[in-house]
Amino acid sequence: MKDEFLENRLHVNRRHFLGKLSLGLGSVALGSLLIPDLFTNSDDKVPTLGLPHFAPKAKRIIYLFQNGAPSQLESFDYKPLLTQMAGKDLPESIRNGQRLTGMTSNQTKFPLVGSHFSFKQYGQSGTWVSELFPNMAKIVDDICVIESMHTEAINHDPALTFMQTGAQQGNRPSMGAWLSYGLGSENKNLPAFSVLLSRGRGNGQGVYSKLWTNGFLDSIHQGVQFSSSEERVLYLKDPEGRDREASRKMLDNLAELNNINYKEFGDPEIQTRIQQYEMAYRMQTAVPELADLSHEPDHIIKMYGADCLVPGTYASNCLMARKLSEAGVRFVQLYHQGWDQHGNLVGEMPLQAQDVDRATTALVMDLKQRGLLDETLVIWGGEFGRTNYCQGDLSKDNYGRDHHPRCYSIWMAGGGVKPGVYGETDEFGYNIIKDPVHVNDFHATVLHLMGLNHEQLTFKHLGRRYRLTDVAGKVVSGILA
Amino acid sequence: MNKLKVILLNLIFCLQVLITFLLLAGDKIKLPLWLQVAGRLHPLLLHLPIGLAIFFFILILIPKRNYFHQQTLDVITFLVLLLTSLLASLTALFGIMLSLQGDYGSDSLTQHKISSVVLSWLLYLFILNYDWLKERRTIFYGVNVFVFALLFFAGHTGSTLTHGENFVFEPLLKEKKESLSKENSSVFQLVVQPVLEKKCFSCHNESKAKGGLVMTSIASFKKGGKHGKEWEEGKPDQSNLIKVIHLPLTHDQHMPPDGKAQLSKMEIDILKFWIQSGANFDINLSALAPNDSLRIIASSVNISKLTTEERIFTFAAASKGVVDKLNSPFRSVFPLYQNSPALRADFFVAASFDVKALEELSEVEEQLVELNLSRMPVTDKELDIVARFKNLEKLNLNFTKVKSDLTPLKKLKHLKSLSLSGTEVNSEAINHVLLLPDLKELFVWNTGVVQADQVKLSNQHKNILITWNIFNDDMPIKLSSPMIVNDGVLKKNEAVILKHVMQGVTIRYTLDGSTPDSLTSEIYKAPIPLPGATQLKARAFKEGWLGSDVFETMCYVEGIKANQMELLSKPDPSYLGEGSKSLMDGRRGTAELFREPSWLGYRDNSFMASFDFGKEAPAIKNIVISYGRNTGSYIFPPEEVQVWVGDNDKDARLLKTIKVPQPTANETAKVDALIIPVTNTKSYYKLIAKPVAKLPSWHSGKGQKGWFFVDEIFFN
Repeated sequence: MKDEFLENRLHVNRRHFLGKLSLGLGSVALGSLLIPDLFTNSDDKVPTLGLPHFAPKAKRIIYLFQNGAPSQLESFDYKPLLTQMAGKDLPESIRNGQRLTGMTSNQTKFPLVGSHFSFKQYGQSGTWVSELFPNMAKIVDDICVIESMHTEAINHDPALTFMQTGAQQGNRPSMGAWLSYGLGSENKNLPAFSVLLSRGRGNGQGVYSKLWTNGFLDSIHQGVQFSSSEERVLYLKDPEGRDREASRKMLDNLAELNNINYKEFGDPEIQTRIQQYEMAYRMQTAVPELADLSHEPDHIIKMYGADCLVPGTYASNCLMARKLSEAGVRFVQLYHQGWDQHGNLVGEMPLQAQDVDRATTALVMDLKQRGLLDETLVIWGGEFGRTNYCQGDLSKDNYGRDHHPRCYSIWMAGGGVKPGVYGETDEFGYNIIKDPVHVNDFHATVLHLMGLNHEQLTFKHLGRRYRLTDVAGKVVSGILA
Repeated sequence: MNKLKVILLNLIFCLQVLITFLLLAGDKIKLPLWLQVAGRLHPLLLHLPIGLAIFFFILILIPKRNYFHQQTLDVITFLVLLLTSLLASLTALFGIMLSLQGDYGSDSLTQHKISSVVLSWLLYLFILNYDWLKERRTIFYGVNVFVFALLFFAGHTGSTLTHGENFVFEPLLKEKKESLSKENSSVFQLVVQPVLEKKCFSCHNESKAKGGLVMTSIASFKKGGKHGKEWEEGKPDQSNLIKVIHLPLTHDQHMPPDGKAQLSKMEIDILKFWIQSGANFDINLSALAPNDSLRIIASSVNISKLTTEERIFTFAAASKGVVDKLNSPFRSVFPLYQNSPALRADFFVAASFDVKALEELSEVEEQLVELNLSRMPVTDKELDIVARFKNLEKLNLNFTKVKSDLTPLKKLKHLKSLSLSGTEVNSEAINHVLLLPDLKELFVWNTGVVQADQVKLSNQHKNILITWNIFNDDMPIKLSSPMIVNDGVLKKNEAVILKHVMQGVTIRYTLDGSTPDSLTSEIYKAPIPLPGATQLKARAFKEGWLGSDVFETMCYVEGIKANQMELLSKPDPSYLGEGSKSLMDGRRGTAELFREPSWLGYRDNSFMASFDFGKEAPAIKNIVISYGRNTGSYIFPPEEVQVWVGDNDKDARLLKTIKVPQPTANETAKVDALIIPVTNTKSYYKLIAKPVAKLPSWHSGKGQKGWFFVDEIFFN
């Protein structure tokens, strides 16, 4: 038996070999003729990481997140009808089955209430802005107000998570992590994704580190939270009595040990850890240069407001954001807490607005006069809108507004954005009647501005490819310049 | 068989006569209607002779090897040829009839007509001499090859008439078209032409000009067709181009004809707005007003084409190795986007800057399009190096050391954007760069270029956007409040240290609860020693600024530590703190964060704690209870405080009961002190504090229980 097998093999002579070979080669040749890119490396089609897929409009993003959801009806979405109809019940035809939060679900009446604060039109675009934002009113011709944002979540946590990661459940990478993953870091001495927190005087909702998570991406893409204290990055300084030379030596030896470990286990997180140590070492020179606000001239302090020198304030975070962005940080994320005006809106919202109005405006202007606004995308806004009716008792001079996912206003400025107003809500400020922008569309558009095709920026995890926009999202061409 | 042959041959002869007649005299006669219908059958009929002819070629190529009955084969072959000839003649005749109905361009038609007629003649002659030719194989096959070639040519020219030129190879040729961009092409090329190309060109081109209209060239499109001009500038409703689109589908004149792909709403709008805006062939997208309908619609068409604006660079990309080598922690060099030859370079961390690092970029001097030297110690001298990057379009020199000599930059003929903010350049220095041909933006905020020159320079250089200081707000604004360095509980003999984040600020303070003013209040010069629990208020003042808000804090000085401390009532389970330890740990809580171990919270029961000072009882002058006030969170001062004193817990008796004044309106959250004067030398103290049982009527939680929060207790 064995011999027969051997013999059979001997029957395959050169003629057979050449005959089969020509057939095989022939079919391969035919295949390549019919499908020209059959044999090109399929990786060519997946854009390589680290560079924009096409010419980007913006190179960096500063996202001024207004945590807690500022009311669109007291900021950019002017609805005089609500003032006329104040106290009247929200018509069922307008509410149209909208679910409510647990906070108003047992309310029997939904009395409409107009803005306590007056509105005026500003700029050549004639954008309506409330009196709470007198400074932002000066830059309306540089910003694009999207009045037709809408989301799916109705409570803070899922809405925030949705806005940040494109999914309501946690565990997906944050927008900044995606950008760090897709575009890499411009300045290798600083993290590509930086996070700054501040807290206003209004009713606050917390923020938590899952909002700037790297999710399933490599942890090098995680947002790095800068401290609100005077020492912006904790434990960055060399310990007393040890010089940089020694640190260098220590890191080299540590990397060697880590590499041995890596060879043994192959865990990519070990490589990440080595890189993070290296970056921290380089941050030791880069950060002090940045964090030192004492050399900011008086006219800059005046622009941002005197608070900009007080660590942990929104103003100082704006100034810091400008400096980080100027130094090539891809994505600077600010969170300003305290925008959750369920009650006492009249009392709290002016304080919140005061915190952000001047510094935000200053940031946009400052970028503009440095020639950086056209390559930086500035985004201002919260996670959802607020209801057009009052939560709790409507008194003559105070009211509150509950969460409203069906419409809210945010604005963008700079890199590739067409200034003006986009989208429209109905007279009640409850439903969108023109050009709705879903959170996924917003993400697709932001990626587009950064030169990334949101359908091609993917990461394979648990057997399938994920995107920031997952399976949805359209680029909103109407807001592109 | 012979009879059939004769009949067919005569029939073909008749057709040939007709063909010749029509070919020569066609334009002098008018065809009857029914013949026009016959003419229109030409596109159907033409496939038959082509198919038969090919069948004939196959038959004659069959080798004579007795596969078939040779005689039968010969007969069939001849019959096929006969039929081919007949149908070819008929097709040619119908074709001529169709051509007489007009609407076809000249060149291709003539070629098609002549070649087809010649072909039909040739086939007829071929049959007549078939037997003679068959004996002479060389000539026979020669004739066949010639017939085949002619058939191919006639067929090809015919298809050009129906499908347009290059119908077959179009998909391959399409990709090679030059890409359009917003800058280099007109609105017509960008959005109007693609619509016409897709929906109109197949019938209105040079070779097939239905209705005499040729749309493929701008000149002939302007001329119009049989009915004259196709549009009235600015009046889409009166323009034939738009009218025919809106006719009912069944109407003869409706365009595109029924059965062809119709225009979409968007495409109709594009044509309409284009005519409305004057049917201009040359205007650029950017030249249209921003609110122009055409511009809006054009910018929303096909994003990938319109917004990615891939700039075209003529130079070759640098090798990846070179680019990789140029990257260091302090210098990033990378392509603008994937597969772009153009590079951008950024420098970071001024302390690590080296001129050599800039010089090394010479390796990519052709490819470098954007350069960011912001904050680097670059002087006028280094501009010579920068000037080598001849394709530079964007240069950022913000906060560099460049000063007066910008002449090297004159070599940067492609420079579009130059940032000089924060440098010492003056009006004279920028004169050189203002003459750069491509310059679009110049940033001179915070430089030596005086604002006084703004109007003059802007007028002289209208196509350059010069940005000066855009923040022109001279209104004085409020300073930030002073801060306290050692906030909370001071050690004995420790003094309070105040500070302010800004230079040159005067801090004034009070210790009596009054609001500090800019004239009379004490100026802070050195740390302030405090006698005991004190409410400190401070404000900052500076020339040109408004005085700050009041900074207010409760400062404590550490008291006498009790030997033993016991919490006699349990705090609310959510605010347990660290038990009795929290009361004398020297940590003051903050009024915003009560879920923190320095606080103990009570609501349902009273706070009750005992303090035992042991045998050598100190003389106590006062007791200070530090508590939280936060009306928004239902946190109030205690309603009532009782002080019990004795030698031990058995003989303690009530020394004092204090009713605490309650807030009468919402107030800001703060930590406050309740100072209870006592004169006592006993060793045992018991404190009882009752939370508010019913919140006052002005509060949103009226009638509910209030909270009492305590963080520290001092015995002095």
